[in-house]
Amino acid sequence: MNFLKWSFFVGVFSFKGLLASPPDVEVLETSHRINGSLMDETMGVKKAEVLDLLWGLYRNDKLISHGIMVNAKGYLLSKASSSMGARYAKSFSGKYLPIRIRKRDEEADLALWQITGSSELWPFAKWQNDLNKTKIGNWGVSGNNDLSGLTFGVISAKSRSIGREGGVMGVILEESNSSTRGVEVLEVLPHAAGDRGGLRVMDRILRVDGRTVRTTEQINEIVKKKDPGDLLILSIQRRKKETLLRITLGHREVAFDMFNRNLLMSGPVSKRKDNFPMILQHDLPLFKEMMGGGIFDLQGYCVGINIARIDRVTSYALPASVVLPVLNQWIQELP
Amino acid sequence: MNKALGSTAYHWFLLFILAALAPNKLWGNDASNTKPWNKRIPHSIDDLLGIQKQLHEQLSEVRETVVSIEAIEGAGSGVLISPEGLILTAAHVIEERGREMTVIFPDGNKVKAISLGGSELSDAGMLKIMEGGPWPHAPMALANKSIVGDWCFALGHPSGFDNERGMVLRLGRLIRKKDETIQTDCRLLGGDSGGPLFSLSGEVIGIHSRISQNSDENFHTPIESFLSNWKYFLEEDILTYGSLQGGGFLGVSCEEASKGLEVLELIPGTSAESAGIRPGDYLLRLNDTLLDTREKLTILISRQPPGSVVILDYLHKGREISVRLTLGERPAEE
Repeated sequence: MNFLKWSFFVGVFSFKGLLASPPDVEVLETSHRINGSLMDETMGVKKAEVLDLLWGLYRNDKLISHGIMVNAKGYLLSKASSSMGARYAKSFSGKYLPIRIRKRDEEADLALWQITGSSELWPFAKWQNDLNKTKIGNWGVSGNNDLSGLTFGVISAKSRSIGREGGVMGVILEESNSSTRGVEVLEVLPHAAGDRGGLRVMDRILRVDGRTVRTTEQINEIVKKKDPGDLLILSIQRRKKETLLRITLGHREVAFDMFNRNLLMSGPVSKRKDNFPMILQHDLPLFKEMMGGGIFDLQGYCVGINIARIDRVTSYALPASVVLPVLNQWIQELP
Repeated sequence: MNKALGSTAYHWFLLFILAALAPNKLWGNDASNTKPWNKRIPHSIDDLLGIQKQLHEQLSEVRETVVSIEAIEGAGSGVLISPEGLILTAAHVIEERGREMTVIFPDGNKVKAISLGGSELSDAGMLKIMEGGPWPHAPMALANKSIVGDWCFALGHPSGFDNERGMVLRLGRLIRKKDETIQTDCRLLGGDSGGPLFSLSGEVIGIHSRISQNSDENFHTPIESFLSNWKYFLEEDILTYGSLQGGGFLGVSCEEASKGLEVLELIPGTSAESAGIRPGDYLLRLNDTLLDTREKLTILISRQPPGSVVILDYLHKGREISVRLTLGERPAEE
């Protein structure tokens, strides 16, 4: 639970924007900034080529994710956990067509949708499958929120796998044992799993799922193997009385991130943001509703599918090398 | 008005920022031989590829110089600028002089360092690795070299050191530069503080300081703050807002201009006013020390007790004048 003691230095969170600036101090026009309107034009014909592949997915007339056309017959790839329940897809050119889900892969968090009620043939993505060609510092290009233009940024950190986070109780336990019997609860985070299950400060956890525990590490070992939503049965000692508590484990972000200033400053982030076999990290300023769309290189090849908005400086994309095996399998299985 | 007068020098500055000469545009007019990153705006995919190539080259030159800094209660970033292990960071990362801190290199190697001085006004801070070397180090840009519109890249360890991820790169442009602050559209997060902002020629032009509510208008300490106050930061202390109280006081608000520190307003009744200094004058030197930054004036003045006599050279209607002034007492904070 070390991170609760840790803060990350950012200085003062300043609410003073440039509006406070006097008019005679030189400020770079918004249009000239890295995501200014003039940047789109640098892409020339590639701008429309990229945007023609991207679609917005809608549920109850609300944009819930982006998608990318992967096959001429109207197959759209998107982020599964964001696009669930989508009814319509809207193209850059303004077409608004019904869609239905055809395939879903939990592991990669991808879903394949098909445009129904149209026999039109669509332009579809070309891929850059070689992860080694997508280096840190390479430009990355995606569509903007309403697909009226492009968003620019760079590949910003090492490609890597993102491990599973596991469920959490949302409590802080003593680090060194104060007694030979059980482990003391030092803090219970409000509204997190432990709190909801009735765990209180100064309770001593004696057994977890029937196993006697003496150290915090032993408890962590058991908890981290479980997923959010799994049940944990605790035997605890409270004021010399032993009681059984049933705790439904929670998500790490729900439990702890309300205390994480970095996330408070980041705005809405993706729900599923762990457990990916490989990711590309980039600094494109995307909203969580822009997940599921492609990120492209300057030649207009799709290098990955935006899969999670982590915070204000970080988004993950699933590289083409992870997407294509899943996609090719699906395309083979479909008529 | 009285409240503003009684406030810290910084607030006093903020309230009275008025006219100043806009920095001269040194921009090329995008001739065909202009480097893509020196154009007002890239015009083509080739220009973007040119920027990308330059970024790759400079990134590989400087990445070994970027460190993560572990303090008692948090994590920040920093950049090595000398073979002896001098690190530039943010004042709010080191907080005070003489603190032992851990510096983490990109390969995960950890060394001990000790905090030196800095200034809360610009958020500049220094620390030094205590042993070993020579260390990889990055060049610093000369004063006034970086200008609005320059492409730049930010490096740092947002949310602290992560070996699997490594340091994180952000690309952007310099959108504003004034007095103790640079602003860019490079995106920043907690843990980045103290990390370097590089020009596309691979020189340190700033240090990450604060984030803005608008994620494309973040704040950095300009390298000029370090260059101007080098000896004080290295050998003396951290200038804090609190430490201004009790020091000498000039009663002049000013901002940086090409001719010197342009006087914006004076507090009536101070010796500066009775000596004849007027708004529109330019302060040039204090006790023969060149006033190249507003911060330097604040440091020089506040380190002397009220009642000290200083010699101030200034420009009045194009004529250079030298006066002896007795420093007053800073009005109490309200």
